[in-house]
Amino acid sequence: MPKLLRIILWIAVSLLGALALATIALHRGEQINALWLVVAAVCTYAVGYRFYSGFIAAKILALDPLRATPAERLDNGRDFVPTNKWVVFGHHFAAIAGPGPLVGPVLAAQFGYLPGTLWIIAGAVLGGCVQDFVILLFSIRRDGKSLTEIAKSEIGPIGGVIAYIAVISIIVILLGATALIVVNALKSSPWGTFTIAMTIPIAVLMGFYLRRIRPGKVLESSLLGFILVIAAIFGGQWVSQQPSWAAAFTLTAPTLAVLIIGYGFAASSLPVWLLLAPRDYLSTFVKLGTIALLAVGIIAFRPSLHMPPLTRFADGTGPVFAGTMFPFAFITIACGAISGFHSLISSGTTPKLIRRETEARFVGYGGMLAESMVGIMAMISACVLQPGIYFAVNSPAGVVGQSPEAAAATISSWGFPVTAAQMATLAHAVGEQTLFNRTGGAPAFAVGMAQIFSNTLGGQAVMALWYHFAIMFEALFILTVIDAGTRVGRFMLQDALSHIWKPLGRTSWYPSILFTSALIVAAWGNFLWQGVKDPLGGINSLWPLFGICNQLLAIVALCVATTIIVKMSRASDGVANTGNVIASSAPKRRLSYVFVTLTPLCWLVAVTFTASWHKVLDPNPRIGFLAHANQLARTTANPRLIFNDRLDAAVTSLLVVMVTMILIESAAVCGRIITGTKAAVIRESPYVATRLPLEEPA
Amino acid sequence: MTIKCEAGAPARYATQNGRKRSFAGAEIVSAIVRAWSIVSATLREIFDESAYQRFLERKHIRSSPAAYSMFQCENNQAKARRPRCC
Repeated sequence: MPKLLRIILWIAVSLLGALALATIALHRGEQINALWLVVAAVCTYAVGYRFYSGFIAAKILALDPLRATPAERLDNGRDFVPTNKWVVFGHHFAAIAGPGPLVGPVLAAQFGYLPGTLWIIAGAVLGGCVQDFVILLFSIRRDGKSLTEIAKSEIGPIGGVIAYIAVISIIVILLGATALIVVNALKSSPWGTFTIAMTIPIAVLMGFYLRRIRPGKVLESSLLGFILVIAAIFGGQWVSQQPSWAAAFTLTAPTLAVLIIGYGFAASSLPVWLLLAPRDYLSTFVKLGTIALLAVGIIAFRPSLHMPPLTRFADGTGPVFAGTMFPFAFITIACGAISGFHSLISSGTTPKLIRRETEARFVGYGGMLAESMVGIMAMISACVLQPGIYFAVNSPAGVVGQSPEAAAATISSWGFPVTAAQMATLAHAVGEQTLFNRTGGAPAFAVGMAQIFSNTLGGQAVMALWYHFAIMFEALFILTVIDAGTRVGRFMLQDALSHIWKPLGRTSWYPSILFTSALIVAAWGNFLWQGVKDPLGGINSLWPLFGICNQLLAIVALCVATTIIVKMSRASDGVANTGNVIASSAPKRRLSYVFVTLTPLCWLVAVTFTASWHKVLDPNPRIGFLAHANQLARTTANPRLIFNDRLDAAVTSLLVVMVTMILIESAAVCGRIITGTKAAVIRESPYVATRLPLEEPA
Repeated sequence: MTIKCEAGAPARYATQNGRKRSFAGAEIVSAIVRAWSIVSATLREIFDESAYQRFLERKHIRSSPAAYSMFQCENNQAKARRPRCC
């Protein structure tokens, strides 16, 4: 394409993006079409990818297409495999996209569509994508080492230990919070409970099919599993209409919590091939298909957003979760904008598959842009609902009142009219007994998604099927996160405990498996139980706690990245090689370029530390853990609830202290390097020239 | 001559356009085939079918329930340690 045409094209894309952003930011009074959000996001992502990631790739990271990646050098056909960039992109996207980008934006929609949308777009382009990209590249240049290993070698031993503790904490809290979402989506829902219960025998059947009947035909067995799951949705409808069956599958929140805790323990202890692997395949199959379907639905239906751009709850009095827009909107939406958890994926499987350094930009930066788009779609799904309905679904009974009439009156008094009859009609349309107090985000997302789908395919007659399809989709991959997360946590615990007593580290020794599985399940089960028993709905305390942990992990990742960039700016050629310790052979970079990681790092420090301060010490009992504990202590409340609040406060404080330590250590290392009192030694793998041909078929 | 030229020109253009059309058609088909092969390869990688093929090639064995069990023993150790994002 001629240069002039390219310039005109990019100016047009930038102007269109600016127009769309201005429209969503300044539009008041009338409803706005959801396509404005899509256009704003797509144009910003395009400009961000073309120019910002190009700048980072060329000026800071100096991506070298001639430098062999670990996938090429260490190719063993198993962990290290040079792979086509599109394939790695799909693999990476499937690993980073979980329930987070769907749930976070739905919860943050209580502030209106504007804050969350702007944060998703800006946070991704300037923060999340940068983090994923640079950590991926730094891991590639270190033989695919994990974030904790890189932190240990580039910052110091404390960095490695803190990263390890942050990872295991985030896993435990993530599992508790996501399990609560499933509980809230399935409580008193025989249809949903039956469908999800059926996914367990379906996964086991897939496991046997793969192992005994058609070895290795995973796509075929996933398709079979998908057909069976669709049959289970229809079966769930039948079950919900039979009084005796419906009674058997109508479960309370505590019963569901106990079942999910038992499931997590069993999934962690059973052989991987029997349950975890087939469920993972099935979940990925449904996830990729549904996300694509939702994108098509939004484009085809072009829904209007009923939620205003800003609601009165920016002042911190929101019913979904308490807290002001700053900082809580920015920790509620983590995945979709910036998520520390991604740094584990970017320094896990993905760097071992990248064929050429230059492809890290497409996979790392581009993969996060795709996930951010999922966040935008979730925001649209929540905001197409009438605000009254959105708040009725997402508000806990402890805030809006126990009876439908009381809840409708409270929500209407906020200026978001809704009636008990309207909610009853909607509940009937989606095949539920009630939609009041279904906190957690998943039911609201499912209602929005069902509305979009039923307007595109099948009409109102099939709204119940679409709703339960959406619930199945969310619950399926949340349960996959639970069983995979419990197992990952169990392995991490076994690794740590092996330093105390060697046999505990043996991953095939059943006493150790059962002991460590029980410890991990007890840890997240405690948070789940706490959420189930919380009169404020549980999400009010658990989701911010999860957001804080996730963003603290992002701080650790950005600290590591910033330290390495500072070292790269000061590294000089000619430093002697010591083992794998070499100076960067690339030309010097300007120190000022450190802003690309330092800016999101400073922002996240401001956000997470402020949020942590509020969650621990705020005098409002709806926000501060300790204030809530003190309030409960003044009444005759269950001492367990008081203990839970204090535990949450202690966990938050501990993580903040640890991350502060890593910040200080990282700043000290950078300071010594900048002032010249410490040599800037970059611990990269030695440079090896690639043997792959430069031009390869796509 | 002029008339011949005038008369021949559209025919020649039509032929060229026809060639261009068929060339463009072939390009579209080839782009679709290429896109499908990438999607298919991506799905095979995500769903570990490619990993199983590589395992069979590495071990010089044919696909069978026993071979797949061996593959799962090897693959699942790594798979079970792989975190899934939130």
